[in-house]
Amino acid sequence: MTPPGKRYRIGPGQLAAFASALIADGYVVIAESPDGKGFTALKDGSAVAPDTERPPTALSMKDIVFPRAEPVFLYRKTLDDVQVIDPPSPPRGVVTFGVRPCDAASIQTLSKVFDWDYHDELFDTRAERTIVIGTLCRFTDDRCFCTSVGLSPSSTKGSDLFLLPLDDGGWILQIVTDKGSRFVARCLSAFSETDETGEDLVKRYPGPAVRFDPDRIRSWIPANFDHPLWPSLAETCLGCGQCAFACPVCHCFDLIDEADSFQHGRRMKIWDACQFPLFTKHASGHNPRDTQVKRYRQRVSHKFFIYPERFGEILCTGCGRCSRGCGVGIDIAEIVEQIEKTAVAESVARER
Amino acid sequence: MPNLYTPHAMVIREIIPETPDTTTFRLQFKDAEVARAFTFRAGQFAEYSVFGEGECTFCIASSPTRMEYIECSFKQYGRVTTALRRLNVGDIIGLRGPYGNFFPLEEMEGKNIVFIAGGIGLAPVRCVIWNVLDLRDRFKEITIIYGARSVDDLVYKRELKEWADRPDVKTIVTVDPGGETADWKGEIGFVPTIVEKAGLRGTDTVAIVCGPPIMIKYTMPVLTAQGFADKDIITTLENRMKCGVGKCGRCNIGSVYVCKDGPVFTYAQLKELPDEF
Amino acid sequence: MPEVAAIAKDLLERGVVKAVIGYAAAGPNRTRPFIARTAEQANALVFNRHALNNLAVFLTRRRKPVAGPVAVVAKGCDVRALIMLMQEQQVRREDVHIIGVTCGGVASSMGTPWSVETAAPKCAHCRFHTPHLYDSLAEGTEEVGPLPDRSGERIKELEALPPDERFAFWAEQFSRCIRCYACREVCPICSCEQCVADKNQPQWIDRSPTSRGNFAWNLVRAFHLAGRCIGCNECERACPADIPLSLLNRKLAMTALEEFHYIAGTDPAAPTLVGTYDKTDRQDYIA
Repeated sequence: MTPPGKRYRIGPGQLAAFASALIADGYVVIAESPDGKGFTALKDGSAVAPDTERPPTALSMKDIVFPRAEPVFLYRKTLDDVQVIDPPSPPRGVVTFGVRPCDAASIQTLSKVFDWDYHDELFDTRAERTIVIGTLCRFTDDRCFCTSVGLSPSSTKGSDLFLLPLDDGGWILQIVTDKGSRFVARCLSAFSETDETGEDLVKRYPGPAVRFDPDRIRSWIPANFDHPLWPSLAETCLGCGQCAFACPVCHCFDLIDEADSFQHGRRMKIWDACQFPLFTKHASGHNPRDTQVKRYRQRVSHKFFIYPERFGEILCTGCGRCSRGCGVGIDIAEIVEQIEKTAVAESVARER
Repeated sequence: MPNLYTPHAMVIREIIPETPDTTTFRLQFKDAEVARAFTFRAGQFAEYSVFGEGECTFCIASSPTRMEYIECSFKQYGRVTTALRRLNVGDIIGLRGPYGNFFPLEEMEGKNIVFIAGGIGLAPVRCVIWNVLDLRDRFKEITIIYGARSVDDLVYKRELKEWADRPDVKTIVTVDPGGETADWKGEIGFVPTIVEKAGLRGTDTVAIVCGPPIMIKYTMPVLTAQGFADKDIITTLENRMKCGVGKCGRCNIGSVYVCKDGPVFTYAQLKELPDEF
Repeated sequence: MPEVAAIAKDLLERGVVKAVIGYAAAGPNRTRPFIARTAEQANALVFNRHALNNLAVFLTRRRKPVAGPVAVVAKGCDVRALIMLMQEQQVRREDVHIIGVTCGGVASSMGTPWSVETAAPKCAHCRFHTPHLYDSLAEGTEEVGPLPDRSGERIKELEALPPDERFAFWAEQFSRCIRCYACREVCPICSCEQCVADKNQPQWIDRSPTSRGNFAWNLVRAFHLAGRCIGCNECERACPADIPLSLLNRKLAMTALEEFHYIAGTDPAAPTLVGTYDKTDRQDYIA
């Protein structure tokens, strides 16, 4: 097996041939759709070459490992008995091409919560069966902030293999994980090993300037639960689920039953969002997060305090999807900047 | 693909109407092997489900010392509890669990125990009461103070009588003023008032308090005044849950997940939590 | 004509309103809703080709951020939403000071530079460049020549399709719906305190983003907006899945006009179309 770290040179056109061969072998090959709006399963490999100069898709690729809706079981009911039927097994051999670092990082982050003491076999199986081919990101806009949350356009976190696009239309393929190495072993004979590191390429795409230091707000949040800053942040938030659903690492879900008839139905795991007023509402009518201010505080807290506290990672990859798609223009990086500014000003005032 | 959201099939063996809106189910595992492998501790909860309607979170109301049945008590509020109430003996429901932490029974051994419950809050307390009574010689004095809005709203009525009849338990049952009937022989008054009157002593004693938030809010200062340390007052929280295993993201209070770190908390722990429950 | 900020400042200084809901600049070719509570904050208010949001959404009973009288900055289309809300008793005329703005069209999305080509499709068939109801009128943007009616053309194309192909078109569109409800939340007319999609006793609409639930949700919403939708197309702009919701809504608005001579949100005193019973109502469409 080729150890992680080795690099190969892929010539122009070879990537499409590689993808086509995978499709012919029965792999599900997923890439950004030609219009750049979402991810799609390709019918042939020609459209596989990732165009990371485009803005990221509106929705992240978490749908592949954490689908928007999946049955956790099916049931068959008679008058005096119920049979619980296991859901179909997730597809084997999924390969995702052209995944930007802010998307690729999500699987590792998500696995922390989906494997927290209890293992979510549905997530685990999908993650295990998915090969992530990350790609250097050549896009930056004013909503991007990967560099503020510990990532960069060339981060290989979460990728099994990583591609650097060369100016001649070819690629440098870097083997990142053992899983990636095992997967790619079969086709390495077509590619030549290289010493090129692509360092100059990486330097050309430094990503957005750093906007904030998440460590500064991490301790501020729990110490300032009732701070007057909270109601002034995101006060125009309308409480839809766009930000959570577009986010690569938001993982809240609901379990709901859907019956086709008395006899047949299924329990579904579906995406849910902490900004929905019903999310935490008790059957009795009591709601611990009964205002949008509390719900937005939860969103920011979960990402920058709770998840880091429990899992040692920020629950944000800086992709900016939530901000790009927000109907009222709320920019989470700007919100964090405001909190950081307040936190710094208060600590300066204390030291005086 | 079997997974952690797959429930066990449970057969409803008995349906006990407790109050006009509260019911107790006595359940048995359909699969004897699952039944043998199933263990839990007092205070843990489970996800109960009606197929086609959904899941609902309740504590396990029976004692782990009595494993022939699993019991749960629920008040009719939403879609699932309404569907549960329509079921009959012999019907099948789903159960996932047990989940969450539990009451520190070992640490409570050798001490006096005071149980204080209001309304359906007696369900989680009843689990511990039977657990403690089945191991009676390990504990010192046992006091049960239970209140409901009215005589009609008292749950586990036959057991209240059984406890009252036992010489080794002091049982005080109360109803809110106006909730008494002509032949009511118990106390009349809100739980915090009755707790105050009971003249408890916080030394060497653990208090287990469950009930509506308003009852908990006014009972805590009374216990503190009677000398209970915050760490010796234990309660349970009931945030909305779906997965029960720390993933679905709705039961947290700050960085504390009620489903994983709770549902059992000491008053000392509650004081550390942000005010969002 | 005075600018929005000047009017807002004056209203706040004189204490006529508690807050002004308007637009603030938010980067190149972007604005976002902004609530000014002081005259100083009012300096941040702007109006331009990127003032896309329909701010009437903040005035429904379930959302109004400030108790007492407020002012709202409104384009012609937004004023129609305010009127619809008045017709449906969500907003009382005396509680809102309308700062109308003249509007010659806005860009189709945030961040997109303005040009005739990038104008929002709704602007092509707008008849309300100067709002027809306001308390103050502010300087906005100039009207430009005729804009291409792209959504009108698409509706004609869809109408020409055989039913099964039209069904297939919408099945494909709705398959992308993730049920984030951005369409509902950004819509000023979706003022229900409890949406039918959030009711579960009975469960009228499947909650999962699968075909049955997605069809039910999107069609129920479209029908609930029939005769009520004022065509601001905020739902379509907010949709992260790019579902062309405006085609459904406009088609129903066209039907309301053709069959009932009704245009939603033009007269605060007018009865609502679907919510009003009249003995002379046409019966022929039932059979």
